Amino acid sequence: MAEMWISMGPQHPMTHGLWTLKVKIDGETIVDTIPDLGYIHRGVEKICESRDFTQITPYCDRLCYASANTWSHSYIYAAENLLEVEVPERAEYIRLIAVEIQRIASHLMWLGAYCPDIGNLTAFVYCLREREMMLDLLQELGGSRMHYNFPRIGGVKRDLPHGFAMRCRAKVKLFLQRIHEYEALLDESTIFLIRTQGVGYAKPEEMVNHGVTGPNLRAGGVNYDVRWAHPYSVYDELDWTPSVERSSVKGADCYDRYRVRLDEMKTSAELILQALDGIPGGAETFHESGDPALIAKAPARASDGQTGFHHFEDPRGESMFYLAGGGDERGKNPYRVSIRSPMFITIPYAAKCMIGYKIADVPAIMGSFDPCIGETDR
Amino acid sequence: MGMKVNHEKQVAAANDVITALEAEFSGEGLSCEVRMHAGGKHQRSYVYIDCPPSIWAIVAETLSEVHAVDHCSMITGIHWPEKSPEMEWQVVVHLMRMSVRNPPSNEGIVMPIISDASILQGSDMPLEFEVSIAIPETRNPSIPSVQHVWVGADWNEKETWDLVGIDFEGHNEMRRVLQPHETPAGFHPLQKQHKLRYHEFNEMYDDAQGFARKSEDIGKVK
Amino acid sequence: MADDGQNYSIFNSRLLVDVVGDVTDEALKASRLKEIIGVIGGRLFNWASRKSFFPLHLGIKCCALEMAAAGGPRFDAQRFGLFFRSSPRQCDVLLVNGPISKKFADPIVRLWEQMPEPKWCIAMGECAISGGPYFQSYNVLEGVDTVIPVDVYIPGCPPRPEALIDGFDLLRQRILLNGVSPAMVADDTASPVVVGDD
Repeated sequence: MAEMWISMGPQHPMTHGLWTLKVKIDGETIVDTIPDLGYIHRGVEKICESRDFTQITPYCDRLCYASANTWSHSYIYAAENLLEVEVPERAEYIRLIAVEIQRIASHLMWLGAYCPDIGNLTAFVYCLREREMMLDLLQELGGSRMHYNFPRIGGVKRDLPHGFAMRCRAKVKLFLQRIHEYEALLDESTIFLIRTQGVGYAKPEEMVNHGVTGPNLRAGGVNYDVRWAHPYSVYDELDWTPSVERSSVKGADCYDRYRVRLDEMKTSAELILQALDGIPGGAETFHESGDPALIAKAPARASDGQTGFHHFEDPRGESMFYLAGGGDERGKNPYRVSIRSPMFITIPYAAKCMIGYKIADVPAIMGSFDPCIGETDR
Repeated sequence: MGMKVNHEKQVAAANDVITALEAEFSGEGLSCEVRMHAGGKHQRSYVYIDCPPSIWAIVAETLSEVHAVDHCSMITGIHWPEKSPEMEWQVVVHLMRMSVRNPPSNEGIVMPIISDASILQGSDMPLEFEVSIAIPETRNPSIPSVQHVWVGADWNEKETWDLVGIDFEGHNEMRRVLQPHETPAGFHPLQKQHKLRYHEFNEMYDDAQGFARKSEDIGKVK
Repeated sequence: MADDGQNYSIFNSRLLVDVVGDVTDEALKASRLKEIIGVIGGRLFNWASRKSFFPLHLGIKCCALEMAAAGGPRFDAQRFGLFFRSSPRQCDVLLVNGPISKKFADPIVRLWEQMPEPKWCIAMGECAISGGPYFQSYNVLEGVDTVIPVDVYIPGCPPRPEALIDGFDLLRQRILLNGVSPAMVADDTASPVVVGDD
C-alpha cells in the first residue's frame, strides 16, 4: 500500500501545545512515529544560572503553564533541600491546599481540551466553567489567574485570605457534585466510549522502564505515587488513597487514563477539605506576611558542593529539580538547575503507543497522556 | 492516617543495596553511602553512588537486574571548568526503584496491589538513587550509554548531549532534540563559556539617552 | 496573438476575460458606478472584517490558556464574532501567544504567509512582544515583530482574557479608521496600538 509520512504540527488543534508528530501511515494504519520537540525551547536552565533563588520561582511557574503552582512548589522543595530549610507546618498546609486546587484545575484543563478532540465540545464549556471557579480560589491565594509565584523558600508569601476557607469549602463541595455531570455526559456517551476504550494500550512494565509516571502509570494498575513513596509536605497526616485503575492485561487504554484523572480530582477535593479542617491555628486565623508561622528564615547562598533534589507529584507525573549550588555572585545563583519533565519522557512513549492504530486515533491517544509542551521544552 | 513508607525500613533497604554494591565494585573506585534529604520535617533517605565512568554500564546493569532499579528519572550533565582536571564534566543520574510493578491479574483484569505502604521492606521498598559520574579533563567527554538498560534514559541522554555536550557511547540515534536540527555542531549552550544575551549589560534601563530614567535611579547599575 | 513557444490557439479564455473586464471597467467608470460600488463595497467589507475576526487556532505557550479561557463560558469571545479556525488559509488574525524560538521562526513566517489578505497580527503577552522573561535566552527571538509586522500589542504575563478582548476591540477600531487592506491605509505611518495606552 501507499506509505507516507504526515506531519501533524506544529500548528495543529490536536497537539495541545507546540510540537510536531510525524506519522508514517500505510493506508490508514500507523506504522511509525517520530515526535519532534523543541519549538518552545527557551533555555530556562541556562537563564536560571544567572538568577537568585527567589527569582527562579516565576520561571518555574511558566514551565508547565497548565499547572503552574505544582512546578513552583516542586522547585521550592528542591531549593529548600539545597539550602537546608525547615518549613513551618501551617505553611505546609497552605501549600498543600494550593497544590491540590491546582491539580484539580490542571485535570479540568486536560479534560476540557481532550473531549473536543474526541468530538464532545460540551465538556470544554463545562470544564472551563469549573476551572474558572478554581482559578478564582487560586487568584485569592496567589494574586493572579495563572503564574502565582506563590511559595517562598521557607514558607509561603501570605496567609489564607479572610473568608477563604468558607469560599473554598463551598466551591469544592459544589465541584464534587459537578463531577457527576461529567460522568453523566461522558460515561454514557457511546461515541466517547468507542473512541477511548480499546485504544492506546500501554503496558505497566513498559511504562516503568520508559520512565512514565503519575496518572498514566496508575491507570495501568501500578500503585505508585510519590506522595506516599517518598513523602513530603503533610500528605501523611491526611486520609487519602491514591487513584489506581484496574486495567486489562493488555495494558491501560485511554478510558483508564480518563478515569484515573477523574478519580484524582475527587481525591484532591477531599484533601483540600481535610486540610482546611486540620490546618494548625485554624483556617480563619490570619497571620501577617513574614510571620514565623508562615515562613522560616532561609540562607540566600549555597556553597559549592551542596546539592539538592526533590521528586514531586505533578498532575502529569513525577517532576524533579536537581540544583547544584555555588554559582555566580558567590553562591547567590545556583550553578546548575536541572529540570526533569515527566512529559519529555512520556511523549516518545506515547508516540510508540500509537503504532498499530488508525490515524484517527492519534488525537485520542495523544490527548489521553495529557501532554503539556511548556515543561517538555523548558 | 494517610499511608507512608516506614523510614527505618527504607534506610535498612538502602543499606542493603550499599553493602551489595560495595562488595562488588569498591575495588574499581566506586563508593556509595546513604544520604538524607535535608530540609523539611520528613526524613527521606536516598542512595548516593560515586561511580567512575569506565564501569558505569556494568553498575547500571547490576542495579537493574539485581537490585530491581527499574526507572531512570533524569540524566543531568554539568560542566565544571574550574574543577578540571579531576572533574571537568559531571553526569548525575537519578534512578528510582518503584518496586510496585507486575501487578497480578485476575480473569483478564489487573488487580492494583499494595494496600498498606508501611509494611513494605527489603527489595520491595521504593528507593531513590543518585549516581554521580565524574569525567576528568577532556575536550570530548563521553560515558557509556545505558539506553539498553532503561529505555527512559534514551531521551535524557539526547538532551544531555544536545545541551551540555557529553556524548554517550553506544547510543543509537543521537540527535538534537531541543535545539533546532540545524544548530551548528559543537554548540552546546549549557557549557560555561557560552554566556547569556546581555550578560555584560550593566545599565539599569536599556535606553541609552535616559529618557525613561527616574531621578533617584541616576548613577545606578543593574 | 500567442507568444512564441506557446501552442494554444490565438483566441483563449484568458484573453476573453481580459477583454470583457476592460470593457466593463470602462463602462462603469464612464457611468460613475465604479466609485459607488467601490465605496459601498469597501464599507461592507470593512464592516464584515471588523465584526468577525477569525483567529488562528495556534497555542504556543501560557497565553494560549488565557486565549482558551477567553473562548470559555465566562468571557465568551464568540459573542464578539471571534471564531477560531484551524487552517491558516481561512483566518485573518494571527494571534501570537508565546515566545518565538529559533525553531519556530520559520514555521510562523510560513503561517503568516499562508494567510490571505487582509490579515492582521496581534502579539499577546510579554514573550511575543519582546521576548518576555526569556529575553536573554539563546533560543528565543526578541519579540515576534522581528519576523512579522504586528498591529496590536497586548502586554501582560499572561494578559487577562478581558485584556485580550480589549485588544481585539482596538483592532476593530483600527480597521474602522484605517481600512481593511494595506493598500487602503491612508496614513502610512500609523503606529501599532498598545492595549492600555490611553
